[in-house]
Amino acid sequence: MPSSEDIRERIEAAIPGARAEVEDTTGGGDHFRATVTAAAFAGLSRIEQHRLVYDVFGAEIGGPIHALSLKTALPHGDAAQHAATPTR
Amino acid sequence: MSSNPVRDLPMSPGQPAPSAPEPSPGENPIREAIAEAIAEHKVILFMKGTPEAPACGFSARTVAVLQSLEVPFAAVDVLPDVRIRQELSAISDWPTIPQLFVDGELVGGCDIVTEMYESGELAEALV
Repeated sequence: MPSSEDIRERIEAAIPGARAEVEDTTGGGDHFRATVTAAAFAGLSRIEQHRLVYDVFGAEIGGPIHALSLKTALPHGDAAQHAATPTR
Repeated sequence: MSSNPVRDLPMSPGQPAPSAPEPSPGENPIREAIAEAIAEHKVILFMKGTPEAPACGFSARTVAVLQSLEVPFAAVDVLPDVRIRQELSAISDWPTIPQLFVDGELVGGCDIVTEMYESGELAEALV
């Protein structure tokens, strides 16, 4: 059963330069909410940013980790600079 | 009665679907049915439960966002058969449910849909 600290460490270890804040939303070790800030997100759409984080956990998402709610941002509060999410 | 061409998927009625030819038999009928459903509906949500009775808070919130924008959407319940979720994630490269598709493209799950709703981007994408 991962702790929010485990989740934070794994995200920060896997994505260079990433800073993560992770909260266990139910206290049960299976529903988490994470805010991840990383320069590696530059130029990526939201979908691609979230995929980078989901990929850290692979099949654990939907398995032992029932939910990982994400908010991604670029450093320096520059959250608005994600590439447009392709919709068509 | 639904005019839904994807008879094998547990869909709720959304916008009327165009009449479609019979799906050609293939090696992976579930994946084909999912791909076909995504292609044939401008706005389609894969969720846990139905819009009337969502079975998960994330699905419920995503349905509420779509309903507040008064957008007609088709919905597929992934719960009745675990293979629906497996094949969907294989197609979309996205691990969680719900998943919203617009014009054949994955828009995102609950987090992204909510964020785009709050910024006004979702309303634009759904036009």
